[in-house]
Amino acid sequence: MLFNSLEFAFFLPIVFCLYWLCNKNLKLQNGVLLLSSYYFYSCWDWRFLSLIILSTIVDYCIGLGLKNESHSISIRKLLLWISIGVNIGLLGFFKYYNFFIEQFTAAFTLFGTSFEGSTISIILPVGISFYTFQTLSYTIDVCRKKIEPTTNVLAFSAFVSFFPQLVAGPIERASNLLPQFIKKKQFDYTSAVDGMRQILWGLFKKMIIADNCAEIANTIFYSPADYSASTLVLGAVFFAFQIYGDFSGYSDIAIGTARLFGFNLMKNFSFPYFSRDIAEFWRRWHISLSTWFRDYVYIPLGGSKTSKAKQIRNVFIVFLVSGFWHGANWTFIIWGALNALFFLPLLLSKQNRTHLDTVAQGKLFPSMRELAAMTSTFLLTAIAWVFFRAESMSHAAEYFQYMFDWTLFTMPVLISKVSISTTLILLLIFVLIEWLGRENEYAIENIERLLNRFLRWCFYAIVIAAIIVFTPTEQNPFIYFQF
Amino acid sequence: MMRFLKHIVLFSVFASLPIALFLGLTAHLNTNIVFKKQGGHLYSRINEIPKFPKVDVLFVGSSHAYRGFDIRLFTKNGISSFNLGSSSQSPIQSLYVLEKYLDSIDCEKIVFEVSPQAFSSDGIESALDMISNDNMNWRTVKMGLEAQHMKVFNTLLYSAYRQFLNLDSNFSEEKTKGKDTYISGGFVERQQQEFRKSASTHYEIRQRQLAAFEKIVEVIKGRGIELILVQAPVTLAEYKMYESNEKFDALMSTYSVYYNFNKLITLSDSVHFYDSHHLNQYGVEVFNNALVDFITK
Repeated sequence: MLFNSLEFAFFLPIVFCLYWLCNKNLKLQNGVLLLSSYYFYSCWDWRFLSLIILSTIVDYCIGLGLKNESHSISIRKLLLWISIGVNIGLLGFFKYYNFFIEQFTAAFTLFGTSFEGSTISIILPVGISFYTFQTLSYTIDVCRKKIEPTTNVLAFSAFVSFFPQLVAGPIERASNLLPQFIKKKQFDYTSAVDGMRQILWGLFKKMIIADNCAEIANTIFYSPADYSASTLVLGAVFFAFQIYGDFSGYSDIAIGTARLFGFNLMKNFSFPYFSRDIAEFWRRWHISLSTWFRDYVYIPLGGSKTSKAKQIRNVFIVFLVSGFWHGANWTFIIWGALNALFFLPLLLSKQNRTHLDTVAQGKLFPSMRELAAMTSTFLLTAIAWVFFRAESMSHAAEYFQYMFDWTLFTMPVLISKVSISTTLILLLIFVLIEWLGRENEYAIENIERLLNRFLRWCFYAIVIAAIIVFTPTEQNPFIYFQF
Repeated sequence: MMRFLKHIVLFSVFASLPIALFLGLTAHLNTNIVFKKQGGHLYSRINEIPKFPKVDVLFVGSSHAYRGFDIRLFTKNGISSFNLGSSSQSPIQSLYVLEKYLDSIDCEKIVFEVSPQAFSSDGIESALDMISNDNMNWRTVKMGLEAQHMKVFNTLLYSAYRQFLNLDSNFSEEKTKGKDTYISGGFVERQQQEFRKSASTHYEIRQRQLAAFEKIVEVIKGRGIELILVQAPVTLAEYKMYESNEKFDALMSTYSVYYNFNKLITLSDSVHFYDSHHLNQYGVEVFNNALVDFITK
């Protein structure tokens, strides 16, 4: 059930009404959320519900085990490793089994010996990378005594399977989300309206920006040999906007939906394409995953408070693991490595925390220097996205081979029916709105204060109409569902 | 809570006007309302159906069909025919046209153009073409709703509105659109002879399309009509884009007599095609003459 589907348009109001009808009983509310979340997930494949339930039971029990103060440190560590083993084991089997078998086979063949490992036909359970990381954060935080383990199995189950963020994040921390399932909620009009507004903006990003850019990017990426180098650069730029509109749009819908139920999810994107360097980009892109890796991988490894050599090692580990988290393909690993290479000079020269504020804060226009910094950062990320988008390493190599030749200085030409001009105009309007709202949680958050109700409603109506008019024929599923 | 719900209702009423206004103002952008603007001449084809109450062969399928089966070449060989192909027609829409019009056209054989492309299609483009050119009835509404796409819903509503107010009583479709000329009986001839490569894509068969196809086979065989499945030729590069050609051939062969003309005739990309998917008139002649032999066997 996609967020931009007719099914979800029926599902959400029903769950919303049921949930608030039970607002005198927290258990009932959590029950409604749990059942609707399980239903939501089973719309993809009900068989994989068992994995969520298994992950829930294991981590709930391990949480209770860790609560016992009489356990020695070694027992606590053992319990933690069981949680890590089960969650990473599930992820490893469903997501990486075939990849490792293929790599072993290739490696053995290279050295002249044979390896009898056969791949199996496995469907990747949707959202597995997200909910396993979420439950893992719970057991790790309990083990580190950062949070108290819960004894409320219903609240914990609802926390693991909360449908707005179940299949593509934000990857929540138990310290933020779990207490919200234990605290009684009252309906808040302002928060609900804010949620609706964020959902609307998310739909705009997904259905207009991402899907229109996808039509052009897909056409170019399918056969790079048919296009000039300048068109291929354009293809990479359109993909950069596609993935941003797609994933940040999903996150906006998730956060907005959660707000309708009185929940506050963490921010996942903070206008990353207005970053002045790669370090800032990674503080603004997929924040819930970046901070997860920072807290549970980078800092335990020593972070930046260690020798230069270890700092380099830590950065590479985090970016490579982050790349691998996205998919069992060398393209994602290279994408991670490339970002590590972009990041390292900043870390080594201690420039990685230069830009902690918002670009051109309080001003309408950026300075020329800021504009140049944003453009160069965007181009670096767009180059790296080519690996992310490519289906294989040879596909990426082919793309780069044709992207750097003399036709780089010719006008881009598309052999397709896709209208580039309409998409460019929509993109321009989108970037403008995002720029004006860059100091807020999401671009149109401030509209409440800027416009009176009549103008506000007109604006919403125009956004809805734009979605109706400009949604392209080709339907694209959310990119991050595959992870 | 009540205030929130009240405002949702009020906003829905309020928004309908700016939305309608915006839709009206942007209709010329030809984006998400499609109305009698598709290039496949389906409107003319549907209007000609009463002129062809009895034919030997009825052609069904995508642009491979209406651009690939020239009824004049079949007439020369003593075979009367009508072409009910349409833009990107997928099995879901083929089922729709057959269920709707098979009672109006008495035929002995149906040549159904099949391809991995049609079976992997989401059917949106074809649904839009059908809804915007055909007279609406409950079948049209059902087919449109099943598409589950905003563009289809828009077109469905807009077409219903125009039909209800009888706004298209004076509409007539031009016979020539750009390089395309409509030939009575459903064929569309393309004047362009030079080959232009078009973008290719990967194909994966959709279960919905396969289910519709199985229903078509059932409907046609149930009426005692001979069914001939034909895969029309495409360029070699395009043909190779589909990795499971052999599997597709094997699958089609289980349903009825099946000819894959990518294997049966030899054509040159630059001589016989005007793009990766479509034959030029030279190519159509080679293809149709070969098909006549198979049909009359």
